Amino acid sequence: MSLAFARQTHISRLGRGILGFAALGAAILAGMCIGETPIPVGVVLQTLANKIFGATYVLDPIEMGIVWNYRLPRTIVAACCGSGLAISGMVLQSLLRNALADPYLLGISAGASTGAVMVTVAGLGAGAISMSLGAFAGAVAAFLLVAVLARAAGGGVTLHGTGQIVLAGIAGSQLFNALTSFIITKSANAEQARGIMFWLLGNLSGARWPDVWLAVPIAVLGLMACIWHARALDAFAFGSESAASLGVPVRTVQVALIGVTALVTAVMVSIVGSIGFVGLVIPHAARFLVGVRHGRLGPTTALIGAAFLIAADVLSRTIIKGQVLPIGVITALVGAPAFAVILIRGRRAR
Amino acid sequence: MTVSRLAIAAVSLAFLTASASAEPTKYPLTLDNCGEKITFEKAPASAVTVGQAATEVLYTLGLGDKVAGTSVWFTDVLPEFKAINDKIERLADNDPSFESVVAKRPGLVAAQFEWHVGPSGIVATRTQFHDVGIPTYVLPTDCVAKDNTVGSDGTRSELFSTAPIHQGVRELATIFDVQDRGEEVIADLTKREASAIERAKALNLHDVSAVFWFSSAEMDIDPYVAGRKGAPAYMMDKLGIKNIVESDEEWPVVGWETIAKANPTIIVIAKMDRRRFPADDYAKKLEFLKTDPVASQMDAVKNNRIVVMDAHAMDATIRTVSGIEVLADALDSFGLAK
Repeated sequence: MSLAFARQTHISRLGRGILGFAALGAAILAGMCIGETPIPVGVVLQTLANKIFGATYVLDPIEMGIVWNYRLPRTIVAACCGSGLAISGMVLQSLLRNALADPYLLGISAGASTGAVMVTVAGLGAGAISMSLGAFAGAVAAFLLVAVLARAAGGGVTLHGTGQIVLAGIAGSQLFNALTSFIITKSANAEQARGIMFWLLGNLSGARWPDVWLAVPIAVLGLMACIWHARALDAFAFGSESAASLGVPVRTVQVALIGVTALVTAVMVSIVGSIGFVGLVIPHAARFLVGVRHGRLGPTTALIGAAFLIAADVLSRTIIKGQVLPIGVITALVGAPAFAVILIRGRRAR
Repeated sequence: MTVSRLAIAAVSLAFLTASASAEPTKYPLTLDNCGEKITFEKAPASAVTVGQAATEVLYTLGLGDKVAGTSVWFTDVLPEFKAINDKIERLADNDPSFESVVAKRPGLVAAQFEWHVGPSGIVATRTQFHDVGIPTYVLPTDCVAKDNTVGSDGTRSELFSTAPIHQGVRELATIFDVQDRGEEVIADLTKREASAIERAKALNLHDVSAVFWFSSAEMDIDPYVAGRKGAPAYMMDKLGIKNIVESDEEWPVVGWETIAKANPTIIVIAKMDRRRFPADDYAKKLEFLKTDPVASQMDAVKNNRIVVMDAHAMDATIRTVSGIEVLADALDSFGLAK
């Protein structure tokens, strides 16, 4: 591993950055070229030329629309979600010193489900509130509850305190999952429950341009917060007491980072549903590649997360002809074995 | 045209004469229903229905006064039965509890779906009802050539047809000893279906394709559309329309990309009272079709070939025939014939 590091350091920071963006660009292009129906690469490029550079290629309006209005926003949203969830998972794992931490630890996914079923099944808001907005409200409510509970239980500065956050998250998640089941059993018929399950497992098919304008800034915010606090996060690796002794304003950093994580996750969940495994696995994969220093780990995690979710989305669209699978199924199916490989190889490296 | 009309008239007349001679039911009556043997010593004095389709079959057979309770409603009852339905207790809008059904001490529980009353029924298994001495009947539309252990709404092993609808009417008529009325109903359904098919045939259409859009969990998300073996597939098959969907599931989720690329001649959208998803409202579906940058480019949307159909007619019920009629009328009005 150290050898790999040595080789990597030869490539300059700028070079690595360019390489990263090139990889992301290639992934996005692949996301635009591969879909449910075959569209030639030429048509994809001509569409881009028409839309971005004002070229005037004559194209089938349906094919052009599919590329520009369905596939491109979908791919960008996938990239944002992947990077946002992966960064959130990484921050929480470092902050709480818990390898099993993932963005849904804070009750956000459970809260989002409750919010979504309250709108769609219990009929809250009588059609004026969309399922996404309900999910966002639920996610924020659940997170606030977990935060209050963790604080009341003395969570925070001490090592003991990080344990309290995890426990509060579990309690909050259980509570909101129970509420979701309660609402579904009480008022949904099977048909509705199925629609919601499909959405909760993650679905990118509804992603359009307005979602892009929401997802991009939020994903960038998540990455920026992580880079800004990279040194503090490094210090947390030795526990919050040590971080405090290294001069890190522990409380402030914790509150700020957990807050940003919650916001990023809640927004992503409200756009695409709760896609599992990305937030848990990607940070570990990134650590395996570039080590534990957050200055490098953050961008790598974001990049791998973005590329992984684009790839998962492409698979979800193509694995069964003419039908789309929930993306959460793909992330888990691909993610679990990949995680197993990382675990085993990680052990050998030691 | 007149000749075929005459032929239909003759056929229906034959049915009517046949019905006049239907014999009264001989009890004890034993039936094989969805893999279970059920026996009746006499006509049941009352019934509880689990599923709107079962409720409406009993009403159609003129057995409304025997219905002690109803449940699992998808939409308003057919207008002609509103008066009688208003007088009958609705045990639950959705799934009734086992005890609320048993408390009515019905002579029969008639169910529309096996997932309510069946091998792993959420109301109860059939054995649970039989143990307390209540016979059950499940409409054949949900078990003939259909495997309910595969796919979320079950999967049909062969293309749906209206035969199991007729079978359900006939068997319930036999159980309640109203066979004359049963044959009359079946003759009417058969006649209406044949006449709709005849009308569509006369248009001599070629290369007409369609998609049936039921609803979507979110407005922009991939929609639920009709698979290639359910009731809508049967309608399309009978009227010579090609279904652009290639899944065997009842209501698979298919992306707009696939639908737009297939560019169907006609889009059929479901109209329902349910308002759980925004897309349940057919007006919202229309709005999506007209405003979505890709969907609005489809030929069906540009030429306004959009059919609004009762959602319950898209399921395997006695309303299916009215769905066939609506579709046949639409084909006629779109002027697709060359």
